[in-house]
Order: sequence, then structure tokens, then C-alpha cells
Amino acid sequence: MYKWFLAWRYLHTKLIAFFGIASVMLCVAMVLVVMSVMGGFLDTIRERSRGLHAEIVLDAVSMQGFPYYEEFGERVAKALPDVVRLTTPVIHTYGLFRIPATTFTSAARVLGLRLDEYRQVNDFGDGLNYDYYYPGTTRLEPQAMPVAGFTEDGDLHLPPDLEEANQRWRTAETDPEKIAAYDQNPFEKTPYPYVTPATAGDRVFAVDVGPPGYAEPELPSVIVGFDLLYVRGRDGSFLRHYARGTQVALALFPLSPTGNPTGEPPVRVPMRYVDDSRTGIYEIDKLCVYVEFDLLQHKLAMDPQPLVEGGMSKPRANQLLIGLHEGVELNAARDLIDAEWQAFRAEVEPDLREADARVLDMAEVYTWEDLQRPFIAAVEKERVLVTLLFAVISMVAIVLVGCIFYMIVEKKTRDIGILKALGASGRGVAGLFIAYAGAVGVVGSILGIVIGALFVWNINDFQDYLASLNPQLRVWSPDVYSFDRIPEVVKRADAVWVASLAVLASMVGSLIPAYLAGRVWPIKALRYE
Amino acid sequence: MSKPLLRAHKLYKSYAMGRAEVNVLRGASLTAEAGEFLVIRGASGSGKSTLLHLLGALDVPDRGVVEFRGENLLARSAAQRGVYRNREVGFVFQFYHLLPELNVLENVLVPSLVAHSFWHWRRERTPARRAAEEMLEQVGLGHRAAHRPNELSGGERQRVAIARALINHPTLLLADEPTGNLDEVIGAEILRLLVKLNQAGQTIVMVTHDANVASRAHRQLLLSKGVIGAASRTGGDAPPASLATREVAP
Repeated sequence: MYKWFLAWRYLHTKLIAFFGIASVMLCVAMVLVVMSVMGGFLDTIRERSRGLHAEIVLDAVSMQGFPYYEEFGERVAKALPDVVRLTTPVIHTYGLFRIPATTFTSAARVLGLRLDEYRQVNDFGDGLNYDYYYPGTTRLEPQAMPVAGFTEDGDLHLPPDLEEANQRWRTAETDPEKIAAYDQNPFEKTPYPYVTPATAGDRVFAVDVGPPGYAEPELPSVIVGFDLLYVRGRDGSFLRHYARGTQVALALFPLSPTGNPTGEPPVRVPMRYVDDSRTGIYEIDKLCVYVEFDLLQHKLAMDPQPLVEGGMSKPRANQLLIGLHEGVELNAARDLIDAEWQAFRAEVEPDLREADARVLDMAEVYTWEDLQRPFIAAVEKERVLVTLLFAVISMVAIVLVGCIFYMIVEKKTRDIGILKALGASGRGVAGLFIAYAGAVGVVGSILGIVIGALFVWNINDFQDYLASLNPQLRVWSPDVYSFDRIPEVVKRADAVWVASLAVLASMVGSLIPAYLAGRVWPIKALRYE
Repeated sequence: MSKPLLRAHKLYKSYAMGRAEVNVLRGASLTAEAGEFLVIRGASGSGKSTLLHLLGALDVPDRGVVEFRGENLLARSAAQRGVYRNREVGFVFQFYHLLPELNVLENVLVPSLVAHSFWHWRRERTPARRAAEEMLEQVGLGHRAAHRPNELSGGERQRVAIARALINHPTLLLADEPTGNLDEVIGAEILRLLVKLNQAGQTIVMVTHDANVASRAHRQLLLSKGVIGAASRTGGDAPPASLATREVAP
């Protein structure tokens, strides 16, 4: 019993123990912060990756796309009604995104999709800005530019359909703080015509002196990745400065069914910016724009084309996203759908043209995890590596605890002699110092977890504060880490692991001094001055 | 004839001091009976403390035998010798050797803490604490239980050390110059306490260089040149009847 009793007593009476506690605390806090941030980074990647795709993706692999996507979608939905909830095709290509008013031009990854279906198979709809405050108004069909104006009673309003949509949001919104924030600033506005860099805020509309309405012409719509249009403010906020409906343009490069450029000049498509999307992954939000599936298919000549040998070609898409019913096991579903795909291919193969047969050969069924695996695996490795590096650095704590306990044993030699004279065994005395080190580890770990957790929970506030002092102090770059916010979650399991290892490390650090203490000869110790 | 409580036979002990070897004990022998108050006298550096440490199994001799109730202590393992020190022996040192981080009551409890495991202590804690409080009352320090050693006088510290030595009701009390660090008045007080304990039946073996202190014992042995010299009867209180006729084996 004396081991625990004296360990506890030494813990809060010996000043030197506080150095040990401090070193353990700092190491625990450091490793916990690293584990939490990297772990959160990994979890966010997983979560966002899941939200980017559907559960199952039939992927063309090649850019020219594959035919029969529609037929297979119908077949698989019919063959596996308990598994497949929804299918929707997607086209991927690259183009140039341009804003004529400012002459801003950038490369863009263009996705053609059926918005209503697309947002049912993934989380895309959750990241749309205008669709949040004006639900149901973000569409990819051709539309004119909404312009706020003055009603007869002199109030500034948006066109009625937008005001009604906003009212629907207000009715459905459960968070009164969001409504209050909205009411303070109903909609940011930018003076007609269209663009001014001086105005910025969450919702930006063009304003005219006339009544609210729409400025013609109607143009096809495009949803733009947030970071393609906007940059982060110095205080970490995101500012919009293009009015909703601003005219933009896409230049597209059609490919033949064999993947060759068609030789035609790029197709220029004037469009209207109707919303911006934030998936939270920088690479995507910096690069992607989203347009209507049929429009893109047509502009890229992936819709049915007359064939030289007569007849029409099959329309092509790059992916078929397959949403599953809730509770369906992912890998089992993939295997079922893959089997269905192989059977389907075998059936259509005799009728295929050579180029189509090749692309169907390349097409594969993936789960969303399969698609993201290389990226996730790389991040997992990075997490293990970084955690390991910091854990190695934390070995310093073991050495430090060893040094501190060596000093304590030296200082307590007389006490060791007294204890042995009173009957304590060498093993018992060694156990006392190991228990003492364990207590140092426990207290240091608890403090380290508290400090580490507080730091992680407020890490973005710290960063924003530092960045407000000097932008160079913004250490988390979204260009590098994909996400605009540093993960702020501390997992209980991580904390328990780190604390347990820290306690163990403290005890390991005390082993040599404890061994020496156990070997102290009582007579020498009692004579020790 | 029954075996003596403690018997040391031809104890040899030497220490290395630099390159030289100092032979401290050169065949010292003695016996101590239950209930006896035995004093070992000798000049400073004569090996009194070394002899006491060997009797208390704090050290092992180079040669010789130490028997407690007829059993050779040197045949015991280090852990068993620890149990012997904890259960059978109480030590009182010249410099008190109290633990500075603990208060008086806790210092007295240390042998009891050593004797019990974590789990047993939960059951024994209350009676042990009561025993420690009673022990402190006996030595006149009941009111100082919550004080730290550095808040006590030398005499008080030595009384705490005596209480600590007695907490496990040892058969044998070994006292190493218990008055050596105290002034005459306080020393006499401590001595009276030891005599009182002996009268209550406690066997005491004490080493001292002070003839006055030694005079209170039943029997004195002189340690000189590493061996025990002639025994002498002292002016102390009468020894127990069983000791009255016993010869001291040098």
C-alpha cells in the first residue's frame, strides 16, 4: 500500500515532478492534436468522398464515355429492385470557363448531370448556396437573370418566385439564428449591370431602379465551384461578388467515340451562373462547373450521331451513378451490379461497333470507396507517418522522465533506506517509483488531453485570429489539404490511446531509476547525506 | 534451556575505504533474551551501529550467524528479511529518519502500510489508524499528529520514531544512539520512555557510547576492536527473573 500512498504524496509535494508532468502533458497534447487533425482530415475525406459520388459508380474510365448507360440503368433497376434505388448518368469533360464582363478565364472540369437525380444520389444539393435560401430555384434549364427592383410601395424586392421560395425557406428553417442573420441583410446586391467587385456577401443579386423581374435573354445555366469564382477574405470569410445570373461562357472540346478530338473548333456556350457549389474539397470546388446533362451531351456530340454506315450512334456518358437503398451492404451490392453488368455486356456485345466494344470493355463497376481508395490510402499512410514522427519526438518525454526520476531517486536515497529499514523490499521500492511515474503520466496525460482537446476544438478560431494579424500565419492551406477548415473533432478512442501510451511511456522512462532505487543498500542509504 | 530471542555468533564485517579494508567486526557474539534491555557500548567507530544493523538484517555479515528465535536470518531471502524487519523488529535511529513529506501520524503508519497490500489496507486502514493514534498518545504526541517532522523538536521527532518502531508490535526494538542527537534533558526523557516500554515487556537492544544512558539497561556489553568484551550488570531496574542468572556468551 505504501507504494500508492507515497507515490500520491510525492506527486503533489515534489516540485520536480511537475517538470515530468509538464513534459508528458505537452507530448500528449502534441500527439493528440496531430492525431485529431490528421484523423479528422481522413474522416472528412471519407465523408466528403462518399458525398461526391453515388454508392456505386459504373465508370467509363476513358473520356469519350460509353454507350448503353440508359439501357443498363433501366435493366439494373428492374433486376435488383431491392438493391438499386436510382440511377443517373454523368458526363465529365474539360473546358474553359470565362466571365466576359471581367475577362476572367480558367480551365474547368465540366460535369453534365441531371440535377434532380444527381442530388438524390449524393450530397451535392447540400453545398448549393442559393438553393439553400431560395429552395427549388436552382435549376440547370435555360433562364434569365433575376434583378431586384422596387415595388409600388417603394420596397426593394426580388422577383416574386424568388421571394416565395425564400418564404418557404423561412417557414422550414428550424434555426432562428439563421433567419435573424438573414433578416439583418436580406440579400446583398450588386448594381445593374451585373458586376461590381465592391459588393460582397452571402447572397448577391443585380438591382435595377424598375420593378423586380428578369433580364433576358434566357441562357443555359451553370453551377460553379465556389473556389473557381471566389477567394477567401483575409479574415477567413468567403465573399461573393458576382450577381446571381451573371453571364459566363464555357468553351468545350468534343471527342469522337474513339477518343480523338473531332477537329471542329471548340464549342462556345454562353450561360448564366445560377448557383455556386461547395463540396468542401478544394480541388473540386476550384475546378468543377456543373451543367445540364443533355446540353453537355449535345455540345460534346455524345448524343446520337448519324453513322457513315447508316443509322444513329448510341448516346454516351462517362459514368452511371447508382444509388442504393438504405442498409444495403456496399461490396455485396457492387458484386451484384457487376454481375449484372457482365451479363448485360455479353448480351449487347454482338451488336456493338468496335469502338463501343472497346469502351465497354474498359468500363468498370466501383464502389465510392474503390474510387477514392488511392487517395484515402495515401492520407492514411500520411496520418500513420505523421503520428509516428510525433510519437518518436515524444520519446523525449521518456528520456526526460528517466532523468527526472534519476534525480528524484538520488534525492530520495535516504527515504529509500528508511523504507527498507521498515521492511520494504527492493521490488516494492522499485514499484513505488514506477507507480510515482505512472501517477506523473496519468496527471500529465489528463492535462495534455484537456489542453490538446481545447486546442483542437478551437483550432480554426486560432488560425483565423492569427490570419487576421498576418495572412502569412494561415498555416492550413486549402490548396494543400483540400478542405477549407481544419478538422476540429477529438475522438475518445484517440485520447484514450494517447493517454495510455503516455502513462506507459512514463513508467518505462522510470524503469532504470526504479531499478537503481530497488538496489539501494539500506545501510548506505541511511548514511546518505 | 530455551533458545535466546536473538543470538549473534562470531560476526565478521569489513568495509572498503578507498583502497584500504577496515575490519569493523572481528568475531562479535552476543545473545539477547525476550524482555531484556541490552546495551552495547563502545567508542565512536567501534562498529556498534554495524553490529545493530546486522542484528536487524539491514546488512549481512561477511561471516557469522544471526539467529532470531533460533532461525538463521542469513538463510532467509532478501524479501523474508524485509518481512523480519517489518514484523519482528522496530528501528530507532539517532537521526530519527522520518519521511519529511508525511505528517506525524502518517510516519507512524508507514510500517503498517508496508505490511499491507493495497486491497488489505482497505480493511486494515481504520484499526491501523486507531493503533497509530494510540501509539502517539503513549509517547505523548497525540496533539501533534497532523504536524510535519520539520515542525517538531528533536525529542518529539525521536518519540515519533519510537512510535513508528512500535506500530507493528515488534518483538525486538533496536535503537541506535537514540539520545545521541538530543540534549541531556530530552535524552533522559527518551530514555525514560524506553525503560517504560521495556518494563511493559518490550525487548530492547540499544547501542550507545554514553555510560549514563547505558546504566539504565539490564546488561551492558562492551564492543571493542570488533569483539564483544566482558558483560556487566548495570544499575538499571531489575531484569526479568529468567534473565537474572543468565551468563552472557562473548
